[in-house]
Amino acid sequence: MRRAPVIVLDNGASSIKVGATTSPEDVRIVTNAIVRSKGDKITYFGHEFDACKDFSSLHFRLPFEKGYLVDWDAQKAIWDGIFSDQVLNIDTAGTSLLITEPYFNLTNIQEVYDQFVFEEYEFQSYFCLPPAALIPHGQLFSVPGLPKPECMLVVDAGFSFTHIVPIIGGSVIWSAVKRIDVGGKLLTNHLKELVSFRQWNMMEETYIVNDVKEKCCYVSTQFSADLETCRSDKSRNSIIQEYVLPDFSRNRQGYIRQPDGPRMEDEQILCMGNERFSIPEVMFCPDLIRLHQAGIGEAIVQSINLLPEDLQGMFWANIGLIGGSTLFQGFAARLMAELRPCAPSDSEIKIYESKNAITEAYYSAMALAATSAFTNVAVTRAEYLEGGSGYCRRKFGTDYERGGNEEVARTPPPSAPGKVRTRTVSAMKRR
Amino acid sequence: MPRRQPIRKAQESQPLDAETIAKRTKRHLDELERSNYAEPSSSYLGMEDEDDQAGKSAKGRARQTVSDKRRLSGPSAKGKKANMNIRTAILYRKNFATLVEESGLANLPSSIPTYLTAAAAPPKEPTRALCTVCGYWGNYKCRKCAMPFCGLDCRSVHDETRCERRVI
Repeated sequence: MRRAPVIVLDNGASSIKVGATTSPEDVRIVTNAIVRSKGDKITYFGHEFDACKDFSSLHFRLPFEKGYLVDWDAQKAIWDGIFSDQVLNIDTAGTSLLITEPYFNLTNIQEVYDQFVFEEYEFQSYFCLPPAALIPHGQLFSVPGLPKPECMLVVDAGFSFTHIVPIIGGSVIWSAVKRIDVGGKLLTNHLKELVSFRQWNMMEETYIVNDVKEKCCYVSTQFSADLETCRSDKSRNSIIQEYVLPDFSRNRQGYIRQPDGPRMEDEQILCMGNERFSIPEVMFCPDLIRLHQAGIGEAIVQSINLLPEDLQGMFWANIGLIGGSTLFQGFAARLMAELRPCAPSDSEIKIYESKNAITEAYYSAMALAATSAFTNVAVTRAEYLEGGSGYCRRKFGTDYERGGNEEVARTPPPSAPGKVRTRTVSAMKRR
Repeated sequence: MPRRQPIRKAQESQPLDAETIAKRTKRHLDELERSNYAEPSSSYLGMEDEDDQAGKSAKGRARQTVSDKRRLSGPSAKGKKANMNIRTAILYRKNFATLVEESGLANLPSSIPTYLTAAAAPPKEPTRALCTVCGYWGNYKCRKCAMPFCGLDCRSVHDETRCERRVI
């Protein structure tokens, strides 16, 4: 019997990474937002944003708040577009789904995921895990000639927050997962604030400032020295960069001017000095914005200290980076510099950088979806109608309130759930 | 010998209490989480954050949704109406704080790892502050609002433009 195709949908708070097992390499990156452009007075839903040409004063309506899905109206509008003939062109009822959810997703939100998947879109079966939990299926930690490590520590620095996720034998150790409430969204807002106070008022220009952040910012390995460099000569130093702001009347994108690049008469320049490295610095020192949480380096130490002592050395040696906010130049070098003094002197530290940190979880998920193992871990529509959301969570191993459970995701499914069990409210409502 | 201080208005030398400063810090961190974080002034122009409005209804009007107004085609496009669960989720949006409260996480024993317990603990060592005006080390703090600055020049900019507005 032919298996139904599987849609892999990494549902990020900033972008959705989506594709199907029918053409696994073909990943679509879709803005997870409803964007209203003041310039051309058009509202773009998700994938339609690719057609937007005027990026001034964009207004974003994001389905996610603080990293969790709260605006289902917006999310449905964007998903509908993805499933339609404009993107994937699939019949959801004849398809299975592998979707990601945030770490420690709340039970009351998980129920709505289940309802959408089975009651609205009527997928045949579905599997739902946080992004880092899919990484063991992918290639992030693979070294030619060696088996994949048993223990890995995934650092997922995304749009809403940063998580440190230890994994043993393919299962997340939830009791040692740590979260830092700093992600790309906060960094962009922070940069917006700084440049608006110091140079141009760009508070309305989230999109442009985000581009400035992605192009100019880097993680410093010598923060103090770089600060001094920027102070010693304010207009001419090795760090300062000139970002030429986009000019939408001429349809010109923003870019970094090379030191000897041509100057146009009417161009507007944004000077990036210590902002280049003090913005990403917040990930390593959230205290800079008075967020009293440890930075990434120290949070990794906190996480590893919660793991079995005899395995800790394996985690030091297998740290992997995923998520868009790990893409800042110098991220891994800085993390290494922070971790070295914290690790026992005899431990090896190795940091695995992804070739594409944004789609790493997508491809890992795709690797799982393409095998028959997917059928074993997924919940079918019939199982959901019988057992409700509670059944889904037990099978996925993401019932956090009952301790998450570490082995469930890999065990073969129990035979038909025929026993008497308390049905969830949503299952009751069906009949 | 007492240091010479410039003459300042009496109320200016009143430092804010720790509670107010903590409240402002919290407010600022919330602002940094907003999707369309702009100066408060923008709301006067009727461009309020839609985040706060989505799902709400004006008096006497039906709730506005965007998802069922789309005309899409494709194999899964269908005319049937969504069931109650889906309608509820679409129409009645709850913010994250409400969802956390309703999920009852706070009542669980602390041995169970949840969203609330997963937050990284505070750093062992405090970080040096940065000047809120120029970004250099901020070794001094405004007596009134506790925002850091690096020297006299930046202090005067701070006093003129930012003092009272918020604490980083």
